[in-house]
Amino acid sequence: MKLLIVEDEPKTAEYLQKGLIEQGCAVDVAHNGIDGQHLALVHDYDVIVLDAMLPGIDGFTLLRALRAVKQTPVIMLTARDSIEDRVRGLHDGADDYLVKPFSFLELLARLHALQRRGRAQEPTQLKIANLQIDLIARKAWRGSERIDLSAKEFALLAVLARRQGEILSKTAIAELVWDMNFDSNTNVVEVAIKRLRAKVDNAFTPKLLHTIRGMGYVMEARDQASIDEGSAA
Amino acid sequence: MRRSITTRLVAMFALGALITFSLIGAALYGVLERELTRHQDDDLNTNLQNMRYSIERFGDLDHWPRMRTKMDTISPSDGSVRFWVLSDDPRFQYGKGLDEMERVNQGEAGHGMLTMPISGHTYRTLSMRIGAFADRPPVRLIVGVDTAPFEHTLRAFLVALTLLTLGAVALVMVLGWWIARIGLGPLQRLSAEARALRPKTLSQRLQVEHLPVELEDLTVAFNGALGRLEDAYQQLEGFNADVAHELRTPLANMIGGTQVALSRPRTAAEFEETLQSNLEELERLRSIVNDMLFLARADQGEAATGLTAADVAHEIEMTIEFFEPLLDETGTTVAIEGELRAQATMNIALFRRALSNLLQNAIEHSGAGARLVVTITQRAGAIWIAVANPGATIAAPHLPRLFDRFYRVDSSRHDPGAVHGHGLGLAIVKAVASMHGGATLATSDNGVTTIAFSLATL
Repeated sequence: MKLLIVEDEPKTAEYLQKGLIEQGCAVDVAHNGIDGQHLALVHDYDVIVLDAMLPGIDGFTLLRALRAVKQTPVIMLTARDSIEDRVRGLHDGADDYLVKPFSFLELLARLHALQRRGRAQEPTQLKIANLQIDLIARKAWRGSERIDLSAKEFALLAVLARRQGEILSKTAIAELVWDMNFDSNTNVVEVAIKRLRAKVDNAFTPKLLHTIRGMGYVMEARDQASIDEGSAA
Repeated sequence: MRRSITTRLVAMFALGALITFSLIGAALYGVLERELTRHQDDDLNTNLQNMRYSIERFGDLDHWPRMRTKMDTISPSDGSVRFWVLSDDPRFQYGKGLDEMERVNQGEAGHGMLTMPISGHTYRTLSMRIGAFADRPPVRLIVGVDTAPFEHTLRAFLVALTLLTLGAVALVMVLGWWIARIGLGPLQRLSAEARALRPKTLSQRLQVEHLPVELEDLTVAFNGALGRLEDAYQQLEGFNADVAHELRTPLANMIGGTQVALSRPRTAAEFEETLQSNLEELERLRSIVNDMLFLARADQGEAATGLTAADVAHEIEMTIEFFEPLLDETGTTVAIEGELRAQATMNIALFRRALSNLLQNAIEHSGAGARLVVTITQRAGAIWIAVANPGATIAAPHLPRLFDRFYRVDSSRHDPGAVHGHGLGLAIVKAVASMHGGATLATSDNGVTTIAFSLATL
């Protein structure tokens, strides 16, 4: 994925660049609106991450200039958590927005979502190691053994499996599975993951559902030699 | 322009005095004028009758010079009373300026006014016809009284009256100012008292006992406002301390943990552990900051946007579904009761957020296997959603304060539930309610605690 980050706060720009390069993205960084606009217009990016408050040209102006020429997906970053900013951002053609302080995981999730948006067809079958999921029949197997899941448990499993390798925060999981769009300050997701793990992972190898402390959960088949945090939590 | 009460009162007193004195003056002037006229008329009448008697009885020319002498004698030298006799026979005429008299006298009997064209004197006159007698033809006797002294008196009276009125108005203004000062004294004392109020002395109230009744309402209202201000101020002070405290704990954990990690060589795994711990604290900080921003926006009176008509019971079910793993785990059941068909206009995300905070709260404060009840009640102008849970009864004084930020029923105890919440859950419920034009209510008795919020319906 080829990304442009337009962000004047050097520390933010630096960690975003580092994190996204490590996620396998090609990342350009502009520290002001003028450079940002130039890069955005000259190159073709998959997604542009755009801060609203910028020296030179502000994010909204840049966005309008960009939209006059092309439809590159844009995620706005805004420090002001006010409705006007959001409405303005989306009205001017931003595809998504994040309010600072935002978590890196959330940015990743939004980037993946924007990337997926262009994709034609969702798969109907998923396979991770010996876990098989039929998204149409809503059934799951570990090897040859059928796993009995409630509707919400299946939804949770599907959300994690569709984004295999992607760390999902508890907030993101609550939103994707239960449509709860807020920091819920509850341990519901932890409990749900624990119950899902009991059905999907506990009796089987390899372990697939891992807890990343302080960040969230990820479903992936890991190297057997690596430490399996999932069983520890 | 700002108007002073004293100025207004003085102006009103002055206007009142001016009107009163003017009316009295006008009446007095009228009385005086009428009395003076009557006096003149008496004078005229006496003189006329006197002369008429003499003229009637004498008709020959021999006696006429005596009549003239008599009239000369009784005419005062200052000309204040004058006599004229008009006749077709010039020998029986009498009086100065007879030519003029001929011209101006209308020839009628009775009262009249006469202005001498040359001297300019004005006379009030009384005339009568006296029939012929002996040689004398009918004559016309006219008596005139000079109106100058009369007018002079009236003028002097008017001047005196005007000056007195103006003087009286001025006096009333001075007295009025003095009265207003004294009358407004309690207000000034009240101002002085109010000026002395400081944030440090917020618990002080204005004295109501010694105030006039008119000021009592104002003072009571002002004291009420002071009371609310004091509450808000104390809440704010406590709130700042609470925020600092809430932020201090994660900050201290991070600083300490990082210092320990850096104090000697560590393995990558140990550093990872430190970073993970820091991240947990940072997430806590982020969550507090976000919730505080949300509450601040609600405090500024921001109304909920993105309103849609929704089925209340359905939204409750969706939220309960989210809690299912936790409910299963604790063996808790939730029943929905009341008006299941109720519809409300709401921001669905905010509604779910408020309800999930209530459910979380209810689950935390009731034991395993509890039965929670969510009740929907439709009342005039509002739909109430109440979550009831069995649990320790909360003393009445705490109930309204449950919705305050960081409020803890037991202030000495740090809530172990703070792993998941940070004391803002019910404050957010209140904020969501107010963003929907609703309110909150907490009740607790017989081991059941019910916390409710409402959405305004249009």
